[in-house]
Amino acid sequence: MPGMAKRTTVLKVTGLRRAFGQNTIFDRFSLEVRTGEAIALTGRNGAGKSTLLRCLVGADRPDDGAVEVCGNTMRETSPEIRRDVATVIDDLDFFPDLSVVEHLDLLARAHGISEPDELVDGVLEEVQLVPQSGQLPGTLSSGQRRRLALATAFVRPRKLLILDEPEQRLDVEGLNWLADRLKTERQSGLAIVFASHEPALVDKVATRVIEMGAPRG
Amino acid sequence: MSSLEASEDSSIPEPRKFGALVPATPRELKGMISDWRRGRATKNLLEAFQDAYIVVIAALMIGAMVINVILNAQRVVASCTSVSCLSARTVLPWAALTGAIAVALSVSRLFGPVLASAAEGFWLLDAPISRAKLLGLRLVAAVAVAFVGGAAIGAVVSALTGSGLIEVLIWSAATALSAAAAVAFAAAQQGIDRHLLSRMFTHLFGLLAVAALMLVVAVAANWIQIGFAGDLGPQLGLIMIAFSGSVLVASIVLARLRLGRIRRTRLLSGGALVSGIAGAFFALDIGLARDIVVARRAMEIGHVKPVRGRGVGLEAIIWREWQRLRRFPQPLLVVGATTVVPYATDALGMGSLSSVFGALALFGATIPMLGGLRVLTRTGGLARCLPFSLARLKLASIAVPAVVVAVWTVSVAPSFAGFGEVTAQRTLSEAVLMAIATGSAGLLAAVRWTQAKGVDFGAPMIATQAGAFPPGLLTNLFRGFDVALLITAPMLLGASPFWSLALAAIVAAILLNSMDAETLRARQAEQQKMLEAQRKQREAAKAAAQQRKR
Repeated sequence: MPGMAKRTTVLKVTGLRRAFGQNTIFDRFSLEVRTGEAIALTGRNGAGKSTLLRCLVGADRPDDGAVEVCGNTMRETSPEIRRDVATVIDDLDFFPDLSVVEHLDLLARAHGISEPDELVDGVLEEVQLVPQSGQLPGTLSSGQRRRLALATAFVRPRKLLILDEPEQRLDVEGLNWLADRLKTERQSGLAIVFASHEPALVDKVATRVIEMGAPRG
Repeated sequence: MSSLEASEDSSIPEPRKFGALVPATPRELKGMISDWRRGRATKNLLEAFQDAYIVVIAALMIGAMVINVILNAQRVVASCTSVSCLSARTVLPWAALTGAIAVALSVSRLFGPVLASAAEGFWLLDAPISRAKLLGLRLVAAVAVAFVGGAAIGAVVSALTGSGLIEVLIWSAATALSAAAAVAFAAAQQGIDRHLLSRMFTHLFGLLAVAALMLVVAVAANWIQIGFAGDLGPQLGLIMIAFSGSVLVASIVLARLRLGRIRRTRLLSGGALVSGIAGAFFALDIGLARDIVVARRAMEIGHVKPVRGRGVGLEAIIWREWQRLRRFPQPLLVVGATTVVPYATDALGMGSLSSVFGALALFGATIPMLGGLRVLTRTGGLARCLPFSLARLKLASIAVPAVVVAVWTVSVAPSFAGFGEVTAQRTLSEAVLMAIATGSAGLLAAVRWTQAKGVDFGAPMIATQAGAFPPGLLTNLFRGFDVALLITAPMLLGASPFWSLALAAIVAAILLNSMDAETLRARQAEQQKMLEAQRKQREAAKAAAQQRKR
């Protein structure tokens, strides 16, 4: 039974600290995420959610502490880390002259999927970008670009999914799809860490909620 | 009547009587805007010049040096009476003229050429005033810029090929008028929202420029022979002046008549592009300026026919690069055109500079083929999605351009062996090595330029005479050029091309392997952390041992 399967640790964070000058964003932050767990980071703007996620994916360097993914020390340039961790944070870039579907095809193939057509078509259908499949990314609306960014995480193998406010710029229908998809991913054994301001998404997906920063006022 | 209606009745004042509304004239609006601008100025022109005296003096000195170099070169080349020099003197001004027209048309299509800023679009273009009157000066300014640029190009090229003063003046005027006419023609096309003719003429004149360069090479190589009538060139130049002048006048009249019909979105997109590029240039971030232009072109294209990828892993990335190049093969034409440069340089009797000019031309031509490398290195977001080290990703993304450069290298190798009557003669092996070193220099310079990071304005500033400068602000300008010149320097100084190849290998190791600065810093920080942890462990063990002794 899936529920009885032994849960292994995917992400281990120990004593993480990040400060900008005198302003300490977080200190001695520790976290362990196992397969099938979804951790939601909540809190006011500026509480340090995005900074924490950037440290977790290696886009930012913590002042102290350690991050391990599947037993490997986090180094953004490590191929093993890039193979295991799918991320959707704000710095995702696109090739200006590759269409939507070609981006997804490239990602899937780069991760070793030799016949990705079915997978790519399915994800395109889910994110409702089929009509835009031949469009170049520069012509997409901000919501469509967000959907494309999310799609990049679902066309490749992954053990840990890290998302920064994935609900941004999604309409109600998109939000419902995202919540269902993340819940399914979690139930199939994926470890998820995400920051969100959307209570409905947090309620549906998260197995644990971490409130970041002191409450305002 | 409800209480709400009652209160509304009592609180709404009677509308003011404005009388008949008379819209402001464009002249009045422009006067008002310039009045605001003057009112906000904190310095007058003289004070600004006093503050910028270093820049002014530097510009004067550099300008004087450049003119001196051109005049000296003109004197030296003027004494050359070989067939190569005569062909260059006759044909190269034509190459400059047609090239200037192609560039003027291409830039005009990119920016407009008539454009308006976002503020003007919001505040003025919606107003019930004549759009043509508002934009009239813009048209004149665009044509004037093309005229000045064309004059400079025509004068420099004809002077460098050893033409006399009269010829220089004629070709300068012909090129200036042709470039200005091209911009005016593009503006006339913009007025009817059609660009097919502009595009066709861009390609036509671009091809004519390359053909003219190839003609010089062919004559120098004795592949073909043409007769040189000494006074025919200036006469043809005068005819071009008359023809270009007529086209300029007709196009300006047409463009002026159609100014009011240019769509607002077309005007604003050009303005947005200019402001974006101006911002990038303000930070001396040429890479960002190019990114803006590339993004704009992609938006214009909008939609492509998707092509299925091939292979898995790194192979998939290499195939995609090939498919991208097949989809937009224009960079290949540019690289092909640059094969002429080493031949032309050699034909003009400057064989010792062939490697430098060849590398610099290839550097510029290769950059458009490195779009994949640019995207993978500029933010790191996309590279993070791919399961490879950055070093392997870089190698995969430059594989296709490297093959193109290899073909370029084979194509230019004969130019280094020497082929004309005034060219330096070298052995085949030496020529091949020089070609490889030149190709490597061009490719690596383009790689360095492409993966350059923007200036970090958050870093501590450096104090200079001109104020505080962020580190890397000025060196950013020379990225790529430095590598091209470093690798070709031994050949320029007459040393063996092996030295150049050795330098190229070192540069490639630094630019392409995983030892990039970011990774090195990360490794260093990691090692420091480990050392710190070990030190703490040792101290704890020592303290525990001392405690046990007690």
